[in-house]
Amino acid sequence: MHMMENVTIKGKNFLGFEIEINADDLEEIKKGLDIVIASSVHLIKNSIVTLRFTEDNKQFANDILNYLKGKNIDINAVVVDDKNNLQSSVPVIELKNIHLLSDSHKQQPATYKGNLRNGQEIRVNGDLIIAGNVNPNSYVYATGNIFVLGKLYGIPHAGYGGNNDSMIFAFDLNPPQIRIGNLITRSPEEGVSVKQNNNMVFEVAYAENNSIVISSYDEWLKLKN
Amino acid sequence: MAGKVLTITSGKGGVGKSTTSANLALGLALSGKKVVAIDLDIGLRNLDMILGLENRIVYDVVNIVEKTCKLNQALIKDKRTENLFLIAAAQTRDKSAVTSEQIKELAEELKKDYDYIILDSPAGIEGGFKNAMEPADEVIIVTTPEISAVRDADRVIGILEANSKTETNLIINRIDPTLVKRGDMMSKDDVLQVLSIPLIGIIPEDKNIVSYTNIGEPSILHKDSKSGMAYKNIIQRLLGKNVEFMEITEDKKGFFQNLVSLFKE
Ligand SMILES: Nc1ncnc2c1ncn2[C@@H]1O[C@H](COP(=O)(O)OP(=O)(O)OP(=O)(O)O)[C@@H](O)[C@H]1O
Ligand SMILES: [Mg+2]
Repeated sequence: MHMMENVTIKGKNFLGFEIEINADDLEEIKKGLDIVIASSVHLIKNSIVTLRFTEDNKQFANDILNYLKGKNIDINAVVVDDKNNLQSSVPVIELKNIHLLSDSHKQQPATYKGNLRNGQEIRVNGDLIIAGNVNPNSYVYATGNIFVLGKLYGIPHAGYGGNNDSMIFAFDLNPPQIRIGNLITRSPEEGVSVKQNNNMVFEVAYAENNSIVISSYDEWLKLKN
Repeated sequence: MAGKVLTITSGKGGVGKSTTSANLALGLALSGKKVVAIDLDIGLRNLDMILGLENRIVYDVVNIVEKTCKLNQALIKDKRTENLFLIAAAQTRDKSAVTSEQIKELAEELKKDYDYIILDSPAGIEGGFKNAMEPADEVIIVTTPEISAVRDADRVIGILEANSKTETNLIINRIDPTLVKRGDMMSKDDVLQVLSIPLIGIIPEDKNIVSYTNIGEPSILHKDSKSGMAYKNIIQRLLGKNVEFMEITEDKKGFFQNLVSLFKE
């Protein structure tokens, strides 16, 4: 007898490493997770992990996040097709096309887990994923795309070396400057605000007709399709 | 005994490192721990003054590392408790008079006899800061709720992390609830958003601190002092107790304490 696994490690998506959950019963899912964790705990603890739910089991998202938290496993984001009716304590990525990006880049993205702090800089060849915040006065350079699973308040340079087709993604995109390929844009100079806004809209910066455009992630996905 | 080196640092100057060092050192000693506080702000010493011990200085930390005195001779005993000793900074020398290896060696020696070795760091990220950072087992970062202080603290935390110093805790000093309420001061959460390290305490703005310093009596010795209360809570947390964060409220003259609590200490 051979059935589809309840819970499987699907491998790389554009954010890192994805666990796909197929079962529709909470206890079954937990059992499946236990098996995956037992066999791959090292992999799971040392990379950016997203959970992929189906329309039929996304109602369990919070239960499962808590279950994993109890096992000291932190999930960076939840991935679903449609985020309606979803309760989640971590960011939700609504992706009909999660593989869209990585298809064009055969190289594995570099990942950095932790906060990039004032005075620090990171440079990579290819795509870069940062699971953490990029704080003011830090610098991020990637020859490919930059994905920040956190706040981006430092200065990103995607497509470093001249690739204007690169993009920048962040949970909270608020840098003083954005550099893509050989383009550069400055954020409008408002007074430094100490207020923060909590309505997080994932945003993307990309180049169009030789200027840098910022749009919500949802809008950007629509454009791409 | 296997003592612990606790370094107090900040990046930006004047945010309350020495005030914090004095209160924590004295408080831990009064709780029964054996403590040595070392002033590493060589050339700009003032921990001795905040502790009220400046008249007792004969030898200092430079004398120890240059071996012009014995360690015991440079340990200045506190007036109030048998458990606290101060090693003063030299005033006529500069930061380059000691190396981080020498401070490390001194700290290792002291760990045999003391529970806590508290290092009061100078401002900045140069040599003097490194002397205080490198021997640290745990670090307390002090910041005020100002953007420039928080940015500097972030820089320092980055350097600490790069040196594998990950036992770090944060103190936010001089918070003023009236200003936070008006939106003119960063709140506790604003600061934590940027720094994302564990908070061990918040000290309210306390205009009495200047006079406490002048008479050499840190806040914790003053029963009604709000900053003293906040420091006492931090001491309990350092000792592993789970203490509720107290409410910091606005003072209204002539009224009993305002009931609006804006945030928790
Ligand atoms: N909570 C507080 N409320 C009011 N004033 C304070 C408070 N904390 C510290 N101060 C005052 O701020 C000034 C600087 O404090 P302190 O000397 O402790 O800072 P520091 O970080 O050690 O400075 P330096 O970088 O120069 O060593 C002092 O005048 C002190 O009295
Ligand atoms: Mg000082």
